[in-house]
Amino acid sequence: MASALEMRGITKFFASSSVLASNNVDFSVQAGTVHALVGENGAGKTTLMNILYGLISPDSGDILIDGQTVKITHPDDAIRNKIGMVHQHFKLVPSFTIAENIMLGIEPSQMGFINRTQEADAVRKLSEEFGLPVDPTLRVQDLSVGMQQRVEILKSLQRDARILILDEPTAVLTPQEVRELYVIIRRLADEGRSVILITHKLIEVIEIADHLTVMRRGQVVGTDDVKNVTVKEIANLMVGREVILTVDRKPATPGQVVLKVEKLLVADNNGLPAITGVDLEVREGEILGLAGVSGNGQTELIEAIAGTRQIDSGHVYLFDTDITTSTVKTRRNKSMAHIPEDRMTTGLNLRTNIDENIVVTMYDHDEYHNGNLLRYGKIRDLARTLIQKFNIKSAQVGEGISTLSGGNLQKIVVARELEGNPKFIIANQPTRGVDVGSIEFIHQTLIDTRDAGTAVLLVSVELDEILALSDRVAVIYEGQIMGILEGDDLNKETLGLLMAGANIDDIVGATL
Amino acid sequence: MKRLRQIIEDFSIPTIAVILGLVASSFFVVLAGVSPTETFARLFCEGFGSRGCETFGDLLFVEIEDEDTGLFVTHFAPTYGDRGHALALALEQATPLILTALSATVAFKVGMFSIGMDGQLVLGAVVATVIGYALPNQIYLWAGVEDPEMVVGLPLIMMQIFIPTLAISGAMITGAFYSWIAGFLKIKLNVNELISTIVLNAIAVQFVGYLINFPLRADLNNVGRSERIDDTAWLIPFSRAIFEDIDWFSGSRLGIGIVIAVIMGIIIWVFLWRTKAGYEQRMTQGARKFAVFGGIPAERAIIRAMLISGALSGLAGAVQILGVERRIVDGFASSGIGFDGVLIAILAKESILGIFIVGTLFAGLKIGSINLQFGDIPRQLGSMIIALIILFTSMEDFFRDWITRIRLRFSPIRDVTPEKSKDV
Repeated sequence: MASALEMRGITKFFASSSVLASNNVDFSVQAGTVHALVGENGAGKTTLMNILYGLISPDSGDILIDGQTVKITHPDDAIRNKIGMVHQHFKLVPSFTIAENIMLGIEPSQMGFINRTQEADAVRKLSEEFGLPVDPTLRVQDLSVGMQQRVEILKSLQRDARILILDEPTAVLTPQEVRELYVIIRRLADEGRSVILITHKLIEVIEIADHLTVMRRGQVVGTDDVKNVTVKEIANLMVGREVILTVDRKPATPGQVVLKVEKLLVADNNGLPAITGVDLEVREGEILGLAGVSGNGQTELIEAIAGTRQIDSGHVYLFDTDITTSTVKTRRNKSMAHIPEDRMTTGLNLRTNIDENIVVTMYDHDEYHNGNLLRYGKIRDLARTLIQKFNIKSAQVGEGISTLSGGNLQKIVVARELEGNPKFIIANQPTRGVDVGSIEFIHQTLIDTRDAGTAVLLVSVELDEILALSDRVAVIYEGQIMGILEGDDLNKETLGLLMAGANIDDIVGATL
Repeated sequence: MKRLRQIIEDFSIPTIAVILGLVASSFFVVLAGVSPTETFARLFCEGFGSRGCETFGDLLFVEIEDEDTGLFVTHFAPTYGDRGHALALALEQATPLILTALSATVAFKVGMFSIGMDGQLVLGAVVATVIGYALPNQIYLWAGVEDPEMVVGLPLIMMQIFIPTLAISGAMITGAFYSWIAGFLKIKLNVNELISTIVLNAIAVQFVGYLINFPLRADLNNVGRSERIDDTAWLIPFSRAIFEDIDWFSGSRLGIGIVIAVIMGIIIWVFLWRTKAGYEQRMTQGARKFAVFGGIPAERAIIRAMLISGALSGLAGAVQILGVERRIVDGFASSGIGFDGVLIAILAKESILGIFIVGTLFAGLKIGSINLQFGDIPRQLGSMIIALIILFTSMEDFFRDWITRIRLRFSPIRDVTPEKSKDV
């Protein structure tokens, strides 16, 4: 039987960045299977899939669907060939309803007028057929990320996609939403559809995929049945060297309190209370993990501590100094550093070069300016030093950063924030969307700074990351700290219960 | 190598755009029943040529019959200044455009799409005019001088220095204040700067129209106009002083203004690309979250940029009055210098050098298109040609893609791997 999809000898060279993103790649998927396409950031996975979906035209190569050569030069061609794609960053119209989004371009209409009832009915029928309940009349802007993804999947199914491409589908989901997604993926495969899963989370591959193809530097370096390989083998293949998946760390030796948060009240963007009375302490030489399902106030709490969000009441102290109303600059000058959640818009300015990105937290330090003039020579030296020290590949001083991979971009942020040996670091999702090699590096860097006596506040939605790095873990639920775990109490089960809103006295007390 | 390729590309794109603009507009030229090549040659000769310029080749080398000997002599056209050069006129008209384009660029470079240049410019112009005639008159009154021409020597030089300086400063402060309003509204009340500057422009234009027609009206001339500025406030053109012997300048009112524009260009470049404040404002542009996160006082950067932007537009108004117009006439307010400046800033992609090139081209083409009507060519044709050239210039990204594709066809891919770092 012919493969549901076969891509032969696909080559694509990006002239603007001189990158050979796809080098004579062969890739095939069988019907009714889940095929994982794995690789580090910048390995060429997304490029390959964008070629399949007609978003990028390859320099050479053929695409065969069910054994027939097809020509795909535009997403319309892809849709006609029953290929659907759910992008990492959803392409939905926020102000439209679910039904309007799903039926966009294929609206049932009479004499040019859209029939709303028929539109909603069609979506309702579709969602029942696939067991993906949605309310067609809700607006996309009001939906959770997981729900939006479901709408994207339904949108592809409405167009009868036989091959469904999911680009990093779990990157933005909560653990529960990930579970639900797995069920959906499996059901679609059982119906005879092919699901291509672009990912760099290896656990995910083992859990859900049937086959996998590993890419590195624009080339396929291996393809096999998932049952024949281990996580470690995949990781080594992806990175091209031996990878240490566990972090080696000594017990912490906490010192004095560096950051103290007292009875904090903070509102979210809509003015609703997001943090309702949080008390926290982070000490020298320890990593305090902040665990929780995303959207429980982590963002607001971190922004309040970092100084980019107004505090309604309560206090934040850094080394006994009240910094509740201090500017970001003051806080940074008092040795606070911050690795933000979103490196693309907050952590970096992709419109400028690496030098200016690195100096943003230091440009008014004496060594980098002379009166009103910036000392660009010194700044370049700093950039050069950090690129070497942190082994930021492909980065060149004075050059733009928009073509760098996620892992390298994150390294730039980490390098900048650690410069000047801060006494307190906020690390918010420090490895989100980052490849295995960089994760390993960033984790080790955080441990090293902890050992050097820095206080670290680590926020992550990845429980494994929290458990691997933290000395103590605070669990946040609906804007409150449900409890702080350490030592023997610190395990996945207890954390999971607290994250779901259980009371700490009930659980910890019961296990004692 | 890479840089060279970049430079060639940067220059070939506008050239292609201009040629395509001309090709597209030849349709209308033919429709008007005139020869396209002749029309275009005339357009460019009138805008940038020397005496005797007839064809495109004459823009570089021109053959002129010597009146005494009757022999034809070849001259290098850009420097051949006999009976004045069109380029001097183009530069004269480009001066305020360059200043307003710089003004727009400073605002754009903090992420404020301010198009309030026209309002700031006319208010600056009015202030410069009033200081330009009222202040010298007051001084003459205090000093008891009955005939201004009696003032000579040191007092004259002092006045020639201080009065223009004061007039320019007044105009710059006025422009800065007017621009600050839009910045303040943006920060405190989140009023969209596009809307506020459009409204502020309308207010300023009407207000200045009123001033010219009533309180400041000097005579019963058909078109309302103010008094003429005193000679001590006048930034005398090169053709009347300093370079009066050089023919190249004759017939134009090109003067100190262009020098001021060049100095401002350099200052703004240094400000944007070399100072802390410039860094702060560039980081605020389009990456506000990043700026705030890094500890950059973004709101202060916005206010500062708006003040500088307004001051530059006010300066443009002052330079135009003190150097060219010498009085403010009804209609000046709606001449659109500010808006053309915005257009130039966008076409030049906010590059300072680009502003000077585009500004001069723009002014030259405008003069050329107006002068077309002195031949048999309809006047409207000139504006259409300019519009089409601008349209094609704005297709830059398309051309860039095109060039890349052609280049790739001729130089196939070599062994380039994605991780092209030095340590490999």
